[in-house]
Amino acid sequence: MMSFDRPQEDVWGPRRARIVAGVLAVVFTVIVGRSAYVAFNGPEQAASGMRSAAVAATRRADIVDRKGELLATTVPGWSLAANPSAIWDAGEVASGLKSVLPKLDLIGLTAQLSDRKRQFVWVQRGLTQEEKDAVFGLGVEGLQFVEEARRVYPRGRLAGHFLGYTNIDGDGLEGSELAFDAQLKQGGEPLKLTLDASVQFVVEEELEKAYADFDMKGGVGIVVDTHSGAVRAVASWPAIDPNRRGDFSADMRSNRALNSRFELGSIYKPLTVAAAMDAGVLTPQDRFDVSAPVKIGAALVKDPHPLPNAKSVSAADILAHSSNIGTALIAQRMGVERQQDFLRSVHLLGGQSHVGPQTASPLTPEVWDATAMATVSYGHGISVSPLAFAMTYTAFGNGGNYVSPVFVEPVDAAQVDKSQVMSADTANTVLGMLREVVTRGSGKNADAQGYEVAGKTGTAEKPGPDGYDPNKNITSFAAVFPASRPQFVVLVVLDEAQPRTGDQRTASFTAATIAGKVIARAAPLLDLRPVLTASTVEAASLRVSEATTP
Amino acid sequence: MRKLAIIGAVIVVVLAVAVYRAKLGAEETQGEIDLLTAEASAIGKDIAVMKAEEAYLTRPERIAPIARQQLGLEQAQPDQYTASEALSRRLGEERLTLPAPAPAEDASPTSAPLKSNEVKPQQ
Repeated sequence: MMSFDRPQEDVWGPRRARIVAGVLAVVFTVIVGRSAYVAFNGPEQAASGMRSAAVAATRRADIVDRKGELLATTVPGWSLAANPSAIWDAGEVASGLKSVLPKLDLIGLTAQLSDRKRQFVWVQRGLTQEEKDAVFGLGVEGLQFVEEARRVYPRGRLAGHFLGYTNIDGDGLEGSELAFDAQLKQGGEPLKLTLDASVQFVVEEELEKAYADFDMKGGVGIVVDTHSGAVRAVASWPAIDPNRRGDFSADMRSNRALNSRFELGSIYKPLTVAAAMDAGVLTPQDRFDVSAPVKIGAALVKDPHPLPNAKSVSAADILAHSSNIGTALIAQRMGVERQQDFLRSVHLLGGQSHVGPQTASPLTPEVWDATAMATVSYGHGISVSPLAFAMTYTAFGNGGNYVSPVFVEPVDAAQVDKSQVMSADTANTVLGMLREVVTRGSGKNADAQGYEVAGKTGTAEKPGPDGYDPNKNITSFAAVFPASRPQFVVLVVLDEAQPRTGDQRTASFTAATIAGKVIARAAPLLDLRPVLTASTVEAASLRVSEATTP
Repeated sequence: MRKLAIIGAVIVVVLAVAVYRAKLGAEETQGEIDLLTAEASAIGKDIAVMKAEEAYLTRPERIAPIARQQLGLEQAQPDQYTASEALSRRLGEERLTLPAPAPAEDASPTSAPLKSNEVKPQQ
C-alpha cells in the first residue's frame, strides 16, 4: 500500500515575509524621517563642516597702549616664491632678482632655481610693497607672490625694546611679543598694555636728547604707578625699530631696562635708611660722625666729598649729601641678616615674578660678610635690573608696600600684588628725606617746578676686569613724585655718561637733570596737576592779568 | 496594499526632490557665506592697514613739530594751572578788563551809582 508523506507545512514562510517587510518598513520610515528632517531643517552638520574648513588662519592680536593707541598690528604682506621647473635660465632670473632684492644670495639662489625637479622654493619672505612692485616689474617667468601676514610696528622705535618682535612665521621672539605669545596667537581683542605711548615718547625723547649732552653707552628710563605697579613707560636707549630689527647689533637690541644688570650706587641708600628705621635701630634724630673714613670688614669706606658739619649729621643729611660713611654706619647698626631680609622683601635678591617680560636675576655678593654689608648699603657689590630696582621705590610712595610690576590693563586695584615691607611712618619719613635731597642736596637739578620731586642720586663706578674704574660711571636718579601725594616712581639710569662740555659726570648733573625733564613733561600727560603754592597762584594770576590788560 | 505602496513612492519622490533642492540651497548659501567672509576678510585687512597708517602718521615725533610750528602749541607750564580757590580771583581780574553789559533801553540815565568793583560802561 502506497502511502504518501504529507508535505511538511512551511510555517515560517509567512512569518519570514512579515519580518522582512517589517524591517524594510522601519528602514523606509527612518529614511523618510531623516529626509523630511533634512528637507525642512537643512543640512546643518554638513554646512558646519564646510565652514570650519573655510575659516582662515587666526590673525595675531594687535598690541595697544593703555589709551588704545596702536603699537603693533598685523597687515597683509607678500613673500616671493619660484617654481624652478618653469624657469629656463636660472642665472638670468637670479641676477634680475638680485638687482631689486640686494640682500639675496646670488649663488645660492641660482643653485636653487637650477634644480628643475623642484616646483616650489622661497626666494624672499616679507617683501615690502616697493620690493613687490619692483619684482613684478621684472616680468620674470616662474615667480609667484604668496600672501602672508606681516607684523608691523607703526610707531617705529616707540617702545621698540618692550614690544619686541616676531619671526616671519608670527612666533614671538622678544619682548611682549614673546611674553604674551600664546595670548596674541589666539587673536581677538588687542592686548592692552599699561604703557602710555605719550609718556613713553617723552622718556625716549629725553634719553635721545641726553645723548646730545652726554657721550653715553646706554640709558634707561622708567615710569611706574606707585599704587598699582602699572608700568607707564619703560625705555632703553639706544632705541630700536622692531620693523628693522636686523639693522641693529645685539648690544643695541638688548633691553637694558629689564635684561641688563647694573650696580646702581647711592640710590640704595634710602633703602638702607628705611630698613634700619623699620628695624628700630635708627631714628631721624640720631647723629653720626662722618668726618673720617671708617673701616668695616675689609672695606675702608670714604666719602668723595666732605659733608658740612660732618662731626654730627642726621640720616636726612646722609641722604641729602649722599654719605657712604654714614650709610655704612647705619648698615652696621642693622647687621647682615636684617639687611638681607629687607633686600629680599623688596625682591632685590631675586624671587620676583609677574606676568609679562621678565627681568634679569640679580648678582649678589658670594660671601655676605661685614664688607659686603657695608658696600651693599650704598649700592656697590650688588647688580640688579633697573626695573627691579624701580619697583622698590613704590614703597616710599604708597605707605610702605612693595608693588609688583604690572604690564597689562585693566589694572584691578583689588588684585594688585603688594606686600608691606616697611611701616607707613618709615615710608613717609624717608619720603620726606628724599624731598630734602632735591631741595637742599644732590638732586636739585631734578626739581621739576610744581611736582615736588623726592629722589636720590646715584653715581657708581663700573666694575671691570681690573676692579672698579673711576672714569666710568653708572649714574642714576630714582624719584617719587609729587611728595605730598605720591603717584609715580621715575628711574633714570645712564651708562658711562660723559658730558660733552665740562667734566661734571656725577648723577647730580646727568641722571637727575634728565629725570627732572622727564617729570616736567610726563606729569601733565599722566593727569597730574602741579602742586600749587602761593607763588604759583600768583604767577597764574599775573599771567592772566598780563594777557588781558591792553 | 497597492495604495500604500503608491503613497510611499510619492512620498519618496517628493522628499528626494526636496532634499536635492535643500542641498542646492545649502551650496548656494555656503557660496554666499564664503563670498561675504572673503569680503569681510579683505575689508578687515584694509582696516588693519589704515589703522597702521593712522598710527604711523600720528607719531608724536611727526605731530609735535607740526603743532609747534603751524599751530603755535606748546606744553602747558606749571604756572598755567590754577587751583579752584584761585579761580574767583582770576575771574575778578578778567572782569575788570571786560566791557560792562550795555544798559537796558528803558534804564534811567540817572541809575544807581556804580559799586567800587564795577566798571563804567564805555561810551
